[in-house]
This record gives sequence, C-alpha cells and structure tokens, in this order.
Amino acid sequence: MLKKISKIFIPAIAVLSLSGCASLSASEEFTAAWDAADAARKDAAAVGYEWRDTGKILGKAKAAADEGDMENAMKLVAKAQEQSADAMVQQKRESELWKTRVPQ
Amino acid sequence: MKKVIVTLVALMTATVWIGTQASPETDRAAFEKFFTQKFPNTPTADFVNGVYSIHAPSRAQWEEIEEFPPYELSIDAGKTEWNKAFANGKTYADCFENEGAVRGSYPYWDSDRKEVITLELAVNECRTANGEEPLKYSKGKMADISAYMSYQSRGQEINVVIPDDADAMAAYDRGKEFFYSKRGQLNFSCFDCHGGGAGSMVRADTLSPAYGHTSHFPVYRSKWGGMGTLHRRFGGCNKQVRAKPFKSQSPIYRELEYFLTYMNNGLVYNGPGARK
Repeated sequence: MLKKISKIFIPAIAVLSLSGCASLSASEEFTAAWDAADAARKDAAAVGYEWRDTGKILGKAKAAADEGDMENAMKLVAKAQEQSADAMVQQKRESELWKTRVPQ
Repeated sequence: MKKVIVTLVALMTATVWIGTQASPETDRAAFEKFFTQKFPNTPTADFVNGVYSIHAPSRAQWEEIEEFPPYELSIDAGKTEWNKAFANGKTYADCFENEGAVRGSYPYWDSDRKEVITLELAVNECRTANGEEPLKYSKGKMADISAYMSYQSRGQEINVVIPDDADAMAAYDRGKEFFYSKRGQLNFSCFDCHGGGAGSMVRADTLSPAYGHTSHFPVYRSKWGGMGTLHRRFGGCNKQVRAKPFKSQSPIYRELEYFLTYMNNGLVYNGPGARK
C-alpha cells in the first residue's frame, strides 16, 4: 500500500516542485531583465536622452508580470530595453551631428 | 585622388567645426538670415507674432481673437497677485523695479551663481526670500504673474548678453546643442520643426518659425484651455517628439531659453500672447 501511494505521490510532488521552480525561475528571469532595462533607462536619462514612453512601458511590464502574463511582460521589457539602447545611439550620434544643422 | 578626397573631407570637417565655434552674434545673424530668407514676405519685426507672421489665414483668426484676448484675465489675476502683500508685508515690487516691467532684463547670466536666471525663477526666489511658498512653474499663478510682468514690459527690446565668461559661453552652447539635437522616439530636433519645417503643416496646424519664439510668452493656448509659460511649451514640444521632457526651470531648459532668446536679440517683447 505504502509502495502504491509512493508511486502516485512522489512523481506528483516532483512535478509540483518542478513547476514551482519553473515559475520562480520565470519570475527571477523577469526581475533580472526588468532591472537591466531600468538601468538602461537611467543611463539614457543621465545623458538627457530618455524617451517619453520607456518608463511607462516598464510600468506596464511590471503590471503584466503581477498578473502572471510573463510572455507579455518579457516582450514589454525587451521593448523598453531596445528603446533605451536606441536612445543611447541617438545621443552618441547627435553629440556631433547637431553641429551640421546650425545655419551658416 | 586619395589626397584630394582626404583634403576635401578635412576642409568640410573644418567648415562644420568653425561653424559651430562661431560667436553668439555670428550665430544670431545667421539665424535671422535663415528665417528672413525662408519667409521673405514677413517683415523682420513681425516674427514676434510667431506662426501668425507667416500664415495669413491663421493671422486673420488671431486678429479676431485679439479683439477680446483670452490672456486678459490672467493679466488681471497677475496684477492682483503683484499688489497682494506677502505675510511679511512686502510685495513683488520690493524685488522687481519699474512696476514689474523687467522682462527685458531676463534671461541673464549670473556670474556668481554660474547659472542662467529667468524671470520665473526670479519670481520664485522673490517669494522664498520673503517667506512664501514657491509657485509651480508651468501654469497657474506663476503664468499669471509672468503675464502681468510681460504685459508691463511690452515693447522692451530683447537684449540678452553673453558675458566674456567661459561658463556663460558653455551655458549658451549647451542651449544651442539642445536646440539643434534630434531627440525622442520620433527623432526630431527643435530646429527640425521650427527651422527647416517652419511653415509646413503638422496635421491641421502650421509650424511656427523659431525666430521670435520667446518674445510672446506666457501664452494662452486654446489646446491647454489656459495659460502656460515658455518652459511648459518646451516640455510639450519634447513630449510631442516622444522624448521625456525636463522639468520647467531645470538648468537645461533655462539654457535653452538663454540661447533661443539671444537669437531674438533686436526684436521686442510682446507677451502675453494667444496661440492655438
């Protein structure tokens, strides 16, 4: 009887544990990605080039994660990360290119 | 051939560099020339009227609006504030001379503090020096006081001075760089819209020329349904190109005001104004 119960419950406990681990892992993955994207946003802000919606997108990502929609949350984080990367490229480019627009 | 190309590239780079190292007065003359050539039918002095100096249909509507100007209530409210005593018994008149007709003295470079001082900043410094809470910078009472003082100052010549001071020049240059740099998700500079794009349509509106921009603030904007300061408009423009705006009276907006107002030297202050 004990053997029979073990056969049923041990795999069930393992599955539940694994699914718990998977969920934790996704959450950890999201937190790490969100933190990195927020740091990138702050870098863009530090040089005066943060884009208008980047912070809002990160806020939406957090809300999606809170609702358990990790796929959407990760997509939003990636979008915010991309915006900040583009803003940094823009800042680097404009630090020289603006001079060409000054009327002579 | 390679030598020729290298020489040409070097010459072009040098030209660009020399261009950006120009004196403020050279910048200003080129700025004025850019707009007077782009809009040859606009008398130079009329650029203080913004988009209405280059777009006749809008001007006709604006002249009708000016019959009963929507900023009048703000001037009255500003006058009331001006005359109201602070808790210590003093008033704004203890901080500003000439019954507030001092718009022509701003913005200026304060060599001791190493920063640009704008009229709105000075208004709040007057308040805090007299034990009052500072006002919010974008609208409300600040716009009212600013409207009253601008009205009192109508006709004063714009004469911003860049003193012989490396820090003042650096502040001017930062304002200049901000004005010509593309920013935000839409990748537009101030000059893209209000220089090269001036006179073009954005949806149903005509883009105004930057020359004369700082003369007529604060303004009553129909879009706002109320008054707003120059820095409120700076923030609005930044938002429109999807860049995160800076705070009103932040150092960079004051430096932008310093540069842009210098570009208008020789024109006159005619605020407050009414805009769409």
